[in-house]
Amino acid sequence: MSAPRVDYFYSFRSPYSYLSGPRGFALADEFEIDLRFRGVIPMMMRGESVPTAKRLHTMRDVKREADRLGMPFGRIHDPLGEGATRTLAVSEYAIDAGRVREFVLTASQAIWGEATDPASEEGLRLICENAGLDWAGCSAALNDPAIAARVEANTQELVEIGHWGVPVFVFDGEHFWGQDRISDLALVLNDAGLARN
Amino acid sequence: MREKIEREVAPRLIVAASTVTLPARIAAAARRASGRSGRLELYFGFDDPASAFAVIDLAQRLEGRKLIFDLKPVVERGIEGDPALERKHAYAIVDGRRLGRRIGLTLSRSEPIAPSQAAFLAAWVAAAPRGAALTRFCDAACRMIWFESDGALEAAPYEALWHQCFGSAPTGDEAAVRANEKQMTRRGPYETPAAWVAGRWFFAQDRSAQIADWLDELGWRVK
Repeated sequence: MSAPRVDYFYSFRSPYSYLSGPRGFALADEFEIDLRFRGVIPMMMRGESVPTAKRLHTMRDVKREADRLGMPFGRIHDPLGEGATRTLAVSEYAIDAGRVREFVLTASQAIWGEATDPASEEGLRLICENAGLDWAGCSAALNDPAIAARVEANTQELVEIGHWGVPVFVFDGEHFWGQDRISDLALVLNDAGLARN
Repeated sequence: MREKIEREVAPRLIVAASTVTLPARIAAAARRASGRSGRLELYFGFDDPASAFAVIDLAQRLEGRKLIFDLKPVVERGIEGDPALERKHAYAIVDGRRLGRRIGLTLSRSEPIAPSQAAFLAAWVAAAPRGAALTRFCDAACRMIWFESDGALEAAPYEALWHQCFGSAPTGDEAAVRANEKQMTRRGPYETPAAWVAGRWFFAQDRSAQIADWLDELGWRVK
Protein backbone atom coordinates (compact mmCIF):
# COMPACT_ATOMS: atom_id res chain seq x y z
CA MET A 1 0.00 0.00 0.00
CA SER A 2 1.35 3.44 -0.88
CA ALA A 3 1.98 6.02 1.84
CA PRO A 4 -0.71 8.70 2.33
CA ARG A 5 -0.03 11.83 0.36
CA VAL A 6 0.70 15.29 1.75
CA ASP A 7 0.80 18.13 -0.79
CA TYR A 8 3.12 21.00 0.08
CA PHE A 9 2.31 24.21 -1.84
CA TYR A 10 5.26 26.58 -1.77
CA SER A 11 6.43 29.84 -3.33
CA PHE A 12 10.07 30.90 -3.56
CA ARG A 13 8.89 34.50 -3.22
CA SER A 14 7.19 33.81 0.11
CA PRO A 15 9.43 34.27 3.14
CA TYR A 16 6.95 32.23 5.18
CA SER A 17 7.48 29.36 2.73
CA TYR A 18 11.20 29.74 3.36
CA LEU A 19 10.64 29.51 7.14
CA SER A 20 8.52 26.39 6.65
CA GLY A 21 11.11 24.55 4.54
CA PRO A 22 13.25 22.65 7.06
CA ARG A 23 10.26 21.59 9.20
CA GLY A 24 8.03 20.94 6.17
CA PHE A 25 10.44 18.53 4.52
CA ALA A 26 11.29 16.94 7.88
CA LEU A 27 7.69 15.68 8.09
CA ALA A 28 8.68 12.99 5.61
CA ASP A 29 11.42 11.86 8.04
CA GLU A 30 9.01 11.71 10.97
CA PHE A 31 5.97 10.20 9.29
CA GLU A 32 5.17 7.51 6.70
CA ILE A 33 3.88 9.94 4.08
CA ASP A 34 4.38 10.73 0.42
CA LEU A 35 5.31 14.43 0.68
CA ARG A 36 4.76 16.12 -2.68
CA PHE A 37 6.42 19.51 -3.25
CA ARG A 38 4.12 21.78 -5.31
CA GLY A 39 5.89 24.99 -6.36
CA VAL A 40 3.48 27.83 -7.24
CA ILE A 41 3.74 31.18 -9.03
CA PRO A 42 3.91 34.13 -6.54
CA MET A 43 0.66 35.95 -5.66
CA MET A 44 1.88 39.22 -7.15
CA MET A 45 2.57 37.50 -10.48
CA ARG A 46 -1.01 36.14 -10.38
CA GLY A 47 -2.46 39.64 -10.35
CA GLU A 48 -3.09 39.79 -6.60
CA SER A 49 -1.93 42.84 -4.71
CA VAL A 50 -0.28 42.94 -1.29
CA PRO A 51 -0.87 46.10 0.79
CA THR A 52 2.22 48.01 1.94
CA ALA A 53 1.37 47.49 5.63
CA LYS A 54 1.33 43.74 5.06
CA ARG A 55 4.59 43.76 3.10
CA LEU A 56 6.39 45.74 5.81
CA HIS A 57 5.04 43.63 8.64
CA THR A 58 5.96 40.42 6.85
CA MET A 59 9.63 41.44 6.68
CA ARG A 60 9.71 42.35 10.39
CA ASP A 61 7.76 39.31 11.53
CA VAL A 62 9.80 36.89 9.44
CA LYS A 63 13.03 38.35 10.81
CA ARG A 64 11.87 37.65 14.36
CA GLU A 65 10.67 34.15 13.46
CA ALA A 66 13.87 33.40 11.55
CA ASP A 67 15.94 34.41 14.58
CA ARG A 68 13.82 32.17 16.78
CA LEU A 69 14.27 29.25 14.36
CA GLY A 70 17.98 29.93 13.88
CA MET A 71 17.61 30.61 10.14
CA PRO A 72 19.49 33.36 8.29
CA PHE A 73 17.26 36.19 7.05
CA GLY A 74 17.85 39.75 5.93
CA ARG A 75 20.35 39.65 3.07
CA ILE A 76 17.52 39.43 0.56
CA HIS A 77 17.19 39.41 -3.21
CA ASP A 78 13.48 39.64 -4.07
CA PRO A 79 13.00 37.02 -6.82
CA LEU A 80 9.73 38.44 -8.18
CA GLY A 81 9.54 37.73 -11.94
CA GLU A 82 12.29 35.77 -13.70
CA GLY A 83 13.97 34.72 -10.48
CA ALA A 84 10.79 33.03 -9.27
CA THR A 85 9.93 31.34 -12.57
CA ARG A 86 13.46 30.03 -13.10
CA THR A 87 13.64 28.67 -9.56
CA LEU A 88 10.24 27.02 -9.97
CA ALA A 89 11.34 25.37 -13.23
CA VAL A 90 14.47 23.96 -11.64
CA SER A 91 12.47 22.73 -8.62
CA GLU A 92 10.43 20.54 -10.99
CA TYR A 93 13.65 19.20 -12.49
CA ALA A 94 14.94 18.60 -8.95
CA ILE A 95 11.83 16.51 -8.19
CA ASP A 96 12.67 14.29 -11.17
CA ALA A 97 16.32 14.14 -10.08
CA GLY A 98 15.37 13.16 -6.51
CA ARG A 99 16.91 16.29 -4.97
CA VAL A 100 13.93 18.58 -4.47
CA ARG A 101 14.47 18.98 -0.72
CA GLU A 102 18.12 19.97 -1.21
CA PHE A 103 17.26 22.38 -4.01
CA VAL A 104 14.31 24.09 -2.29
CA LEU A 105 16.17 24.61 0.98
CA THR A 106 19.33 25.81 -0.78
CA ALA A 107 17.51 28.15 -3.17
CA SER A 108 15.29 29.65 -0.48
CA GLN A 109 18.19 30.34 1.85
CA ALA A 110 20.14 31.86 -1.05
CA ILE A 111 17.22 34.21 -1.81
CA TRP A 112 16.28 35.22 1.76
CA GLY A 113 19.57 34.94 3.60
CA GLU A 114 22.36 35.41 1.08
CA ALA A 115 20.98 37.91 -1.49
CA THR A 116 21.60 35.56 -4.40
CA ASP A 117 19.82 36.54 -7.61
CA PRO A 118 18.29 33.43 -9.21
CA ALA A 119 17.37 35.43 -12.31
CA SER A 120 21.08 35.59 -13.16
CA GLU A 121 22.89 32.63 -14.68
CA GLU A 122 25.68 32.93 -12.14
CA GLY A 123 23.26 33.00 -9.18
CA LEU A 124 21.06 30.12 -10.28
CA ARG A 125 23.99 27.98 -11.29
CA LEU A 126 25.59 28.43 -7.87
CA ILE A 127 22.31 27.41 -6.19
CA CYS A 128 21.91 24.35 -8.42
CA GLU A 129 25.46 23.16 -7.88
CA ASN A 130 25.23 23.70 -4.12
CA ALA A 131 22.09 21.53 -4.17
CA GLY A 132 23.94 18.78 -6.02
CA LEU A 133 22.20 19.27 -9.37
CA ASP A 134 23.89 19.22 -12.79
CA TRP A 135 23.74 22.59 -14.49
CA ALA A 136 23.08 21.13 -17.95
CA GLY A 137 19.88 19.48 -16.72
CA CYS A 138 18.81 22.60 -14.85
CA SER A 139 19.42 24.80 -17.89
CA ALA A 140 17.35 22.52 -20.08
CA ALA A 141 14.46 22.67 -17.57
CA LEU A 142 14.33 26.47 -17.85
CA ASN A 143 13.05 26.22 -21.41
CA ASP A 144 11.01 23.05 -21.16
CA PRO A 145 7.29 23.74 -21.80
CA ALA A 146 6.30 20.52 -20.01
CA ILE A 147 8.03 21.76 -16.84
CA ALA A 148 6.31 25.16 -17.14
CA ALA A 149 2.97 23.38 -17.50
CA ARG A 150 3.59 21.47 -14.25
CA VAL A 151 4.18 24.74 -12.37
CA GLU A 152 1.04 26.20 -13.92
CA ALA A 153 -0.95 23.13 -12.85
CA ASN A 154 0.31 23.43 -9.26
CA THR A 155 -0.71 27.08 -9.17
CA GLN A 156 -4.13 26.34 -10.63
CA GLU A 157 -4.70 23.60 -8.07
CA LEU A 158 -3.91 25.98 -5.20
CA VAL A 159 -6.55 28.36 -6.56
CA GLU A 160 -9.05 25.52 -7.04
CA ILE A 161 -8.72 24.27 -3.46
CA GLY A 162 -9.57 27.83 -2.39
CA HIS A 163 -6.32 29.04 -0.92
CA TRP A 164 -4.92 32.51 -1.14
CA GLY A 165 -1.43 32.19 0.28
CA VAL A 166 1.44 29.82 0.96
CA PRO A 167 2.77 27.65 2.40
CA VAL A 168 -0.19 25.30 2.45
CA PHE A 169 -0.14 21.61 3.34
CA VAL A 170 -3.02 19.37 2.29
CA PHE A 171 -3.58 16.00 3.95
CA ASP A 172 -6.70 13.90 3.44
CA GLY A 173 -8.63 16.97 2.21
CA GLU A 174 -7.68 19.10 5.24
CA HIS A 175 -5.73 22.30 4.66
CA PHE A 176 -3.00 23.67 6.91
CA TRP A 177 -2.12 27.24 5.97
CA GLY A 178 1.09 28.76 7.24
CA GLN A 179 4.37 27.75 8.76
CA ASP A 180 2.71 28.06 12.17
CA ARG A 181 0.48 25.06 11.43
CA ILE A 182 3.17 22.45 10.76
CA SER A 183 2.98 21.29 14.37
CA ASP A 184 -0.83 20.93 14.03
CA LEU A 185 -0.36 18.84 10.88
CA ALA A 186 2.15 16.70 12.76
CA LEU A 187 -0.48 16.06 15.46
CA VAL A 188 -3.00 14.99 12.81
CA LEU A 189 -0.45 12.70 11.13
CA ASN A 190 0.36 11.25 14.52
CA ASP A 191 -3.33 10.70 15.27
CA ALA A 192 -3.59 8.91 11.91
CA GLY A 193 -0.97 6.42 13.11
CA LEU A 194 1.63 7.54 10.58
CA ALA A 195 4.56 8.21 12.95
CA ARG A 196 7.69 6.29 12.05
CA ASN A 197 9.04 4.10 14.85
CA MET B 1 20.21 50.72 -9.81
CA ARG B 2 16.49 51.11 -9.06
CA GLU B 3 16.14 47.35 -9.40
CA LYS B 4 18.93 46.81 -6.86
CA ILE B 5 17.30 49.22 -4.40
CA GLU B 6 13.86 47.58 -4.71
CA ARG B 7 15.03 43.98 -4.61
CA GLU B 8 17.91 44.16 -2.12
CA VAL B 9 18.56 47.47 -0.39
CA ALA B 10 15.01 48.37 0.71
CA PRO B 11 14.12 44.94 2.17
CA ARG B 12 17.48 44.80 3.93
CA LEU B 13 16.93 48.25 5.47
CA ILE B 14 13.42 47.31 6.65
CA VAL B 15 14.77 44.18 8.32
CA ALA B 16 17.74 46.01 9.85
CA ALA B 17 15.54 48.82 11.20
CA SER B 18 13.25 46.25 12.82
CA THR B 19 16.12 45.07 15.03
CA VAL B 20 16.66 48.50 16.63
CA THR B 21 15.35 48.20 20.19
CA LEU B 22 17.20 50.84 22.21
CA PRO B 23 14.55 53.63 22.05
CA ALA B 24 11.78 51.23 23.15
CA ARG B 25 13.94 49.86 25.97
CA ILE B 26 14.75 53.38 27.20
CA ALA B 27 11.07 54.36 27.09
CA ALA B 28 10.10 51.21 29.03
CA ALA B 29 12.78 51.88 31.65
CA ALA B 30 11.51 55.45 32.01
CA ARG B 31 7.96 54.17 32.56
CA ARG B 32 9.15 51.81 35.27
CA ALA B 33 11.25 54.53 36.92
CA SER B 34 8.17 56.73 37.18
CA GLY B 35 6.15 53.86 38.70
CA ARG B 36 4.01 53.23 35.63
CA SER B 37 3.08 49.86 34.10
CA GLY B 38 3.79 48.53 30.63
CA ARG B 39 0.93 48.15 28.17
CA LEU B 40 -0.05 45.43 25.75
CA GLU B 41 -2.85 46.41 23.38
CA LEU B 42 -4.83 43.52 21.96
CA TYR B 43 -6.98 44.31 18.92
CA PHE B 44 -9.54 41.54 18.64
CA GLY B 45 -13.01 40.68 17.38
CA PHE B 46 -15.62 38.69 19.32
CA ASP B 47 -16.69 37.25 15.96
CA ASP B 48 -13.27 35.69 15.37
CA PRO B 49 -12.21 32.33 16.90
CA ALA B 50 -8.49 33.18 16.63
CA SER B 51 -9.23 36.31 18.69
CA ALA B 52 -11.01 34.23 21.31
CA PHE B 53 -7.96 32.00 21.55
CA ALA B 54 -5.66 35.05 21.87
CA VAL B 55 -7.74 36.66 24.62
CA ILE B 56 -7.82 33.44 26.69
CA ASP B 57 -4.18 32.55 26.03
CA LEU B 58 -2.71 36.03 26.65
CA ALA B 59 -4.77 36.58 29.81
CA GLN B 60 -2.91 33.58 31.26
CA ARG B 61 0.50 34.37 29.81
CA LEU B 62 0.57 37.98 31.03
CA GLU B 63 -0.05 37.05 34.66
CA GLY B 64 2.83 38.14 36.87
CA ARG B 65 4.02 40.96 34.60
CA LYS B 66 3.44 44.58 35.56
CA LEU B 67 1.40 45.22 32.46
CA ILE B 68 -1.94 46.71 31.51
CA PHE B 69 -3.76 44.21 29.27
CA ASP B 70 -5.51 46.77 27.09
CA LEU B 71 -8.35 44.91 25.38
CA LYS B 72 -9.43 46.79 22.27
CA PRO B 73 -12.40 45.23 20.49
CA VAL B 74 -12.98 46.03 16.82
CA VAL B 75 -15.70 45.18 14.34
CA GLU B 76 -14.64 46.52 10.94
CA ARG B 77 -11.15 45.46 9.90
CA GLY B 78 -9.26 43.49 7.26
CA ILE B 79 -7.61 44.23 3.93
CA GLU B 80 -9.82 46.51 1.83
CA GLY B 81 -11.34 44.64 -1.11
CA ASP B 82 -9.80 41.36 0.02
CA PRO B 83 -10.91 38.79 -2.60
CA ALA B 84 -10.32 35.92 -0.15
CA LEU B 85 -12.46 37.35 2.68
CA GLU B 86 -15.21 34.69 2.62
CA ARG B 87 -12.72 31.85 2.27
CA LYS B 88 -10.76 33.26 5.23
CA HIS B 89 -13.93 33.33 7.39
CA ALA B 90 -14.66 29.70 6.54
CA TYR B 91 -11.04 28.68 7.15
CA ALA B 92 -11.08 30.48 10.51
CA ILE B 93 -13.44 27.80 11.81
CA VAL B 94 -11.10 24.99 10.75
CA ASP B 95 -8.15 26.85 12.23
CA GLY B 96 -10.05 27.71 15.41
CA ARG B 97 -10.43 23.99 16.15
CA ARG B 98 -6.65 23.62 16.08
CA LEU B 99 -6.07 26.66 18.26
CA GLY B 100 -8.67 25.43 20.75
CA ARG B 101 -6.93 22.07 20.94
CA ARG B 102 -3.75 23.87 22.04
CA ILE B 103 -5.46 25.13 25.19
CA GLY B 104 -7.57 22.04 25.77
CA LEU B 105 -10.85 23.51 24.44
CA THR B 106 -13.18 22.22 21.74
CA LEU B 107 -14.74 24.67 19.31
CA SER B 108 -18.52 24.52 19.64
CA ARG B 109 -19.33 26.29 16.38
CA SER B 110 -19.14 25.08 12.79
CA GLU B 111 -20.17 28.35 11.10
CA PRO B 112 -18.59 31.83 11.16
CA ILE B 113 -20.27 34.68 13.07
CA ALA B 114 -20.95 37.92 11.17
CA PRO B 115 -18.98 40.81 12.74
CA SER B 116 -22.20 42.81 13.10
CA GLN B 117 -23.72 40.08 15.34
CA ALA B 118 -21.03 40.56 17.96
CA ALA B 119 -20.86 44.36 17.65
CA PHE B 120 -22.85 44.91 20.86
CA LEU B 121 -20.14 43.16 22.87
CA ALA B 122 -17.43 45.30 21.26
CA ALA B 123 -19.38 48.45 22.21
CA TRP B 124 -19.72 47.33 25.85
CA VAL B 125 -16.06 46.44 26.22
CA ALA B 126 -14.81 49.58 24.47
CA ALA B 127 -16.82 51.69 26.95
CA ALA B 128 -15.52 49.94 30.09
CA PRO B 129 -12.46 50.76 32.19
CA ARG B 130 -9.38 48.52 31.67
CA GLY B 131 -8.58 46.12 34.47
CA ALA B 132 -9.11 42.69 35.97
CA ALA B 133 -12.92 42.78 35.72
CA LEU B 134 -12.80 43.55 32.01
CA THR B 135 -10.22 40.83 31.37
CA ARG B 136 -12.43 38.36 33.28
CA PHE B 137 -15.45 39.36 31.21
CA CYS B 138 -13.65 39.11 27.84
CA ASP B 139 -12.06 35.76 28.73
CA ALA B 140 -15.41 34.30 29.84
CA ALA B 141 -17.35 35.80 26.92
CA CYS B 142 -14.87 34.40 24.37
CA ARG B 143 -15.22 30.96 25.98
CA MET B 144 -19.02 31.21 25.92
CA ILE B 145 -19.17 32.31 22.29
CA TRP B 146 -16.67 29.92 20.74
CA PHE B 147 -16.33 26.96 23.06
CA GLU B 148 -19.68 26.66 24.85
CA SER B 149 -22.46 27.74 22.46
CA ASP B 150 -23.74 27.66 18.90
CA GLY B 151 -26.30 29.64 16.89
CA ALA B 152 -27.14 33.35 17.03
CA LEU B 153 -25.64 35.54 19.75
CA GLU B 154 -28.26 36.73 22.25
CA ALA B 155 -27.43 39.61 24.58
CA ALA B 156 -29.06 38.16 27.73
CA PRO B 157 -26.39 35.63 28.85
CA TYR B 158 -23.65 38.20 28.25
CA GLU B 159 -25.55 40.84 30.24
CA ALA B 160 -25.68 38.35 33.12
CA LEU B 161 -21.96 37.71 32.77
CA TRP B 162 -21.27 41.44 32.73
CA HIS B 163 -23.24 41.84 35.92
CA GLN B 164 -21.17 39.09 37.57
CA CYS B 165 -17.92 40.83 36.59
CA PHE B 166 -18.86 44.48 37.19
CA GLY B 167 -21.92 44.43 39.44
CA SER B 168 -23.75 46.74 37.04
CA ALA B 169 -25.41 46.75 33.62
CA PRO B 170 -23.31 47.32 30.48
CA THR B 171 -23.40 50.53 28.49
CA GLY B 172 -22.22 50.66 24.89
CA ASP B 173 -19.95 53.13 23.10
CA GLU B 174 -19.79 52.55 19.35
CA ALA B 175 -17.62 55.63 18.86
CA ALA B 176 -14.99 54.00 21.10
CA VAL B 177 -15.05 50.92 18.85
CA ARG B 178 -14.50 53.13 15.79
CA ALA B 179 -11.59 54.78 17.67
CA ASN B 180 -10.08 51.34 18.32
CA GLU B 181 -10.39 50.49 14.62
CA LYS B 182 -8.62 53.72 13.65
CA GLN B 183 -5.91 53.20 16.22
CA MET B 184 -5.38 49.63 14.99
CA THR B 185 -4.88 50.90 11.45
CA ARG B 186 -2.43 53.56 12.68
CA ARG B 187 -0.45 50.93 14.60
CA GLY B 188 -0.16 48.77 11.47
CA PRO B 189 -2.24 45.60 11.97
CA TYR B 190 -4.74 44.80 9.24
CA GLU B 191 -6.22 41.67 10.83
CA THR B 192 -7.22 40.35 14.22
CA PRO B 193 -6.04 39.24 16.66
CA ALA B 194 -3.07 41.60 16.82
CA ALA B 195 -0.99 42.43 19.87
CA TRP B 196 0.86 45.76 19.96
CA VAL B 197 3.62 46.42 22.48
CA ALA B 198 5.98 49.41 22.45
CA GLY B 199 6.07 49.96 18.70
CA ARG B 200 5.89 46.34 17.56
CA TRP B 201 2.87 44.33 16.57
CA PHE B 202 2.42 40.59 16.47
CA PHE B 203 -0.08 38.03 15.19
CA ALA B 204 -1.47 37.40 18.67
CA GLN B 205 -2.61 33.81 18.09
CA ASP B 206 0.78 32.62 16.83
CA ARG B 207 3.49 34.75 18.38
CA SER B 208 3.24 34.18 22.11
CA ALA B 209 6.95 33.28 22.27
CA GLN B 210 7.94 36.46 20.42
CA ILE B 211 5.63 38.57 22.59
CA ALA B 212 7.14 37.10 25.76
CA ASP B 213 10.68 37.69 24.44
CA TRP B 214 9.86 41.30 23.60
CA LEU B 215 8.30 41.95 27.01
CA ASP B 216 11.37 40.43 28.70
CA GLU B 217 13.66 42.59 26.56
CA LEU B 218 11.70 45.68 27.56
CA GLY B 219 12.07 44.69 31.22
CA TRP B 220 8.41 43.76 31.82
CA ARG B 221 9.41 40.36 33.17
CA VAL B 222 7.37 37.92 35.23
CA LYS B 223 7.90 38.69 38.93
